[in-house]
Order: sequence, then structure tokens, then C-alpha cells
Amino acid sequence: MTELSLFLGCVAPNRYPGIEVAAKKVFSTLGVGLADLDGASCCPAPGVFRSLDKLTWLTLASRNITLSEKKSDDILTICNGCFSTLKDANDMLKEDPALKKDVNSKLAEIGHEFRGTQDVRHVVEYLYQEIGVDKVREAVTKPLNLRVAVHYGCHLIHPLKDSKLGLAGKPTFFDELVEATGAISVDYEDKMSCCGAGGGARTAILDATLKIANKKLEHMTEAGADCIVDACPFCHLQFDVGQAEINHKFAKNYNLPVLHYTQLLGLAMGFSPEELGIAMNIVDTSRFIEKVKMDTSENEVCTIV
Amino acid sequence: MSSNIERCYQCGQCTAACPMAEQEQAYKIRRFLQMEKLGLKSEEPMDIPFIFYCTTCYKCQDNCPQGVKIVDGLLSIREAAVRDGNILPAHRKIGQMLMDSGHAVPGNEEGKKRRLQLGLNEIPPTVASSEKQLNDIKILLNLSGFDQIVAEEKA
Repeated sequence: MTELSLFLGCVAPNRYPGIEVAAKKVFSTLGVGLADLDGASCCPAPGVFRSLDKLTWLTLASRNITLSEKKSDDILTICNGCFSTLKDANDMLKEDPALKKDVNSKLAEIGHEFRGTQDVRHVVEYLYQEIGVDKVREAVTKPLNLRVAVHYGCHLIHPLKDSKLGLAGKPTFFDELVEATGAISVDYEDKMSCCGAGGGARTAILDATLKIANKKLEHMTEAGADCIVDACPFCHLQFDVGQAEINHKFAKNYNLPVLHYTQLLGLAMGFSPEELGIAMNIVDTSRFIEKVKMDTSENEVCTIV
Repeated sequence: MSSNIERCYQCGQCTAACPMAEQEQAYKIRRFLQMEKLGLKSEEPMDIPFIFYCTTCYKCQDNCPQGVKIVDGLLSIREAAVRDGNILPAHRKIGQMLMDSGHAVPGNEEGKKRRLQLGLNEIPPTVASSEKQLNDIKILLNLSGFDQIVAEEKA
């Protein structure tokens, strides 16, 4: 069985642990073990900490990578921000011996050494490139009858700009994975745009970031989406907590459930909404959960008939 | 680590693509690039806090006909401002959380409750579970002088 080190980051384990559970369940179903990366810290966040002091950012990121090097595992991130930090740091240190030496002189103080032996992966691109859409589809036992607004997120796309995923045009890899669950990925304006939260902006200038999120939510709602599906717990938080903030501050009435891709796939694999933590959101997900339960039971009946 | 800001010829395609500029007109990435090019950096206090409005979405960079690494450039501008003591209070606070807990978003009671309900350990298997690992983080942060960066201003 292939094994990867699961890098949790901050927001998933401390605010949305349903994402942590879902990642483990769906990967186990697909025959990939996810091992805890004991002692991992904040990645640290690519916008805010890289702005404060680049060397600190790089040193802490490299420490996280050395934890996986000790286990000879590649790192799997469930967050776009963690992906951006760890992949960028890994690439920079692999390419720049002087920088690697500088960072290693610091890591030596705690008995660590960056060697550059492992890769950093993101859950969505890993599923697409290593498992494949067909295998994901084969693992689906309860096809979902949902209209999904896919949110890629900036720090999923940017670190992959030189990859084979066709990012020069309009990427489709995330939509293909969503549609493998039986759901429809709806088209909407500004689909590739930012949620507004990154770069330390959400914490510093909340209202401005909510205006950006509001625009996306408007377009997702117009497209008749049943839910948002993201690949990043921080985008997740911006859309979930953000809806309550926007409803309050800008007199709106949004009620769009937010799921991480691993939670969507978990539902399609037959795990219950409860065990995937789908109700553990600010947005009320009860009607969404009812719809999923009703639809999947109807599908089962059809299969039996 | 240097950016290639000197290639900028001020066409404004960056600001045109910027989702923040659309909402907050005071945020002008093109202006910050020009200031950096002219060596004006953080000498203009009126530009703080606007340099911290960027969400690092990379739309400007993707739209730049000159291939300027705009986000890297902006992050360097921010770093210089922070070195001059112009850190935003909100960012100082997250920095202090990282110093104290190893996480920018540490655990809270609601999060712990959710973890238990899902059958997970109350404390995640991260630095939050290990005093030794947290101490390692603190050693590295002190070595980089990060403790000074996020320290409260002296009265």
C-alpha cells in the first residue's frame, strides 16, 4: 500500500476536522494510506508569513518537509496555502544550494537537515494524476445528484502553472474529479477568481475580502449551485464563515453549503454526512444533507430494480 | 530571491486584473511597482496599510505582458516595510500565535469538541501534541529574529 504523510496545516484540524477525517477515509478506500505527520506546524502561510520575513517562512517550511523526509514519505496537503508554501519551499531549496546551506545551518540547531528527497503533493492534483478520474469514478457507490460550484483557489493553480495539467487554458481537472462523483460542475462567472482571504488580507481587512467573496457567491447562486466545493480549508472558511458575515454586514441572504472535495467524494463513496463532519459548518447544511440522503436512497432503489 | 520589477513599463494590466482593486480603489499594485523601481519603498507612510491589501491571487502576474514576478516583488516591499516597523497589528497577532502555538490558527474549544465528535483525538497530531516539537519551532523562530519582528512596540 502506498503511504503518504498527511500534512494537516492549521484550519482543517482546528476548525474543520471533518476534512481531516474525509481525506483519510477516501484515500483508504482508494488504497492509499495517509500517515500523520507528527509534530508538523503551520506551513507557514504563504502570504502573511512570507511577507513578514521570508527566511523565517522558508526555515519553518523546510522543518515540516524534513519530518516527511525522515519517513521517506511524500507530503500530501489538503490545503492550497500549505501546498503553495511547501511546494515552493521544496523547489527553492532543491534548486539553490546556497539557500539550502543557509537553511540547514539553522535546522542543525534542532537536529534536522533538509535533503530534498521528497515531493509535495496536493490532494486534488494527486487524485487526478496518480489515481485517475476513472478509478475515482469506480470507487463511487452512491452517485450524487448535485449541482456544484467548483472553486479551484489561487494557490492550487499557481504552484501547478508549469505542470502538465493544462493550466494555460481553462483548467478542467478539478471539474472532472467533481463530475466523477455523479455531480454536475456548473459554469459561473469569475470561476477562477480568488475567494478574497489570502495574503493575510482576511485577518487585516475583513470587509474588503468579503466584498470579493460576495461577488463569487452571487455568481455561484445565479448558476443554481446546490453547494460550493473547494480544495482549501482557508477558502472553505472564507466562504462558510464569510456567508454569515456577508449576510450580516451587506444584508444578503446566502445559504450555500461549503464542502471540501474529500467530503464530496466521501459522500459519493457512501460515507454518511455525519461521519464526514458536513454539518460542522456555519452555513446550515440540514436541507442539503436531506437532499443527499433522499437522492442516494432513490439511486440505490433504481440500481436494485 | 530578487524579483524582476525593472521590466515593468507601467501599462497597468496588473491593476486591471486585480480583484482587490475592483473593490478598493486605493489599492494600486501598479503604483507600488513603480515606487519600488524608483527606490521609494516604504518611505511613503500613506501607502501603509495598502501594501497589505494583496491576497496573493497572482491574477496581476498572470496578466503581465512583461512577465514581472509581481507577487514576489510585492512580498519584498512588504518585508522591507515590516523591517521598518510597519507591521499591521493583525499580522503581529498571528505572528505571536505562531510563536506561542506553532499554528497561525490554534485549536479552540469548538474545534476540540468537533474533533471528539468525529472520533479524532481532541488535540491534533501536530506540534500541538508535543512540547519538544513546539520548542524546536521556538528555537528556529528566535534564530531568524522573528520574535523581534512580532514583539510589541516599545513604549
